[in-house]
Amino acid sequence: MAQQTSDLSAVRRSVDTAQGLSNDHYINPAFFEEEKQAVLFATWSGLAVASDVPEPGDAVPMTFLGMPLLLIRDKDGDVRVFYNTCRHRGMILVDEPRKIEGAIRCPYHSWCYSTKGNLVTTPHVGGPGQNTHTAINRDELGLNEVRSHIWRDVVFINISGDAPDFADMHADLIKRWAEHEKPLYHGGQNSKFQLAVETNWKLAVENYCESYHLPWVHPGLNSYSRLEDHYNIAEAGKFSGQGTLVYRQLKDENGNTFPDFDGLSSYWDEGAEYITVYPNVLLGAQRDHAFAIVLEPQEMAKTVEHIHLYYATPTTDEGLRTTNSQMWKTVFEEDIFVVQGMQRGRHSPGFDGGRFSPAMDGPTHCFHEWVAGRIESYRSLKTAAE
Amino acid sequence: MSDLDTRLLQAHAADDKPTLVALYEEAADSAGTDLEAACFYLTHAYVFALELGHPHAPQLHQKLCVQGRES
Repeated sequence: MAQQTSDLSAVRRSVDTAQGLSNDHYINPAFFEEEKQAVLFATWSGLAVASDVPEPGDAVPMTFLGMPLLLIRDKDGDVRVFYNTCRHRGMILVDEPRKIEGAIRCPYHSWCYSTKGNLVTTPHVGGPGQNTHTAINRDELGLNEVRSHIWRDVVFINISGDAPDFADMHADLIKRWAEHEKPLYHGGQNSKFQLAVETNWKLAVENYCESYHLPWVHPGLNSYSRLEDHYNIAEAGKFSGQGTLVYRQLKDENGNTFPDFDGLSSYWDEGAEYITVYPNVLLGAQRDHAFAIVLEPQEMAKTVEHIHLYYATPTTDEGLRTTNSQMWKTVFEEDIFVVQGMQRGRHSPGFDGGRFSPAMDGPTHCFHEWVAGRIESYRSLKTAAE
Repeated sequence: MSDLDTRLLQAHAADDKPTLVALYEEAADSAGTDLEAACFYLTHAYVFALELGHPHAPQLHQKLCVQGRES
């Protein structure tokens, strides 16, 4: 692939003089390929949530940027991610979500793997009725596993395999939300939904990170959570987002609310934070429920937002959960026209990446600067290797 | 076509794996002194038993190991 060029130095200036990432980073397929390697494969990208595979043996095939993966909870309850590909002839192993009762059997020649990925039998590999051969070392032919880590129920994967440990890379964010290190209980079927949007995944991040748009795009939200009640969160090279000082709990007609997470400090009585775990996971932390949005970058300008809501207790009122899901769905749907509009806008040759509001766009610029830094590092390494 | 062949084809068509385990075990038993045929059928019984987590999987594995066909 030819070396891509774009003026990333302008992105990395301070927010008051910086330009945003140029159009190429949103509409040029060659840049998308570069970004996959530099940003999405080289760091810890969100893939799914562990609640997608609640019981041992549950297996869900999925695709991440064209790669066939298998999310599975093994017999001991550990969630793993494998390439969904037989080590023999490269056949897809699992075609649809299902329970693995015993072993994963390849439908082609019936090589079988345990839920931990071990190759357990190779039928007729040495001829009819002979299931071993000296050339076939099963210990070397287990399923290829993708490095994974679970935090706040989100399954993060590091495709390149060489990123720093998740806990080290995101230590500051984990520390910031240490009070929220509590069991999270997925609200179930009525607490997850997907939104398919015609936009580059980065624009969904950028919109999520800032509160500047709230009074214009979410007027309903603004009636009780005004712009001046929000603050920016921007940790250079690490994470960004926004916080509110007037979080208001949802109540039913009798005034009932969701139970709170235990042991939170008084800050969280009315405080809430909404932060992006770079690159593609949007998290919300509040006193009585949390959410995770995993952005699935299907194509350059096609993203699926997988939204999951979590509560502090295993059971909560179903009606209240349904109302809560609908409320968030309405909010997130209100954002669709802007992320799609910004994507279309990036086909305008005169658009130079845009200028940031130094007061309001710090979190968005923080993300741009992080992306630019990853790409610059990748380009430097590539140049050095040539 | 034997009755066993017919039942095997029916079980394959229905993707009825517990029955496939039983029928391939039956085929192995009926192979008599033809060790190659018996191990072929035992292999199939073992594979489907493994896939199912069937209780016969360990003993099928053991039988194949005894014949030097499995590790």
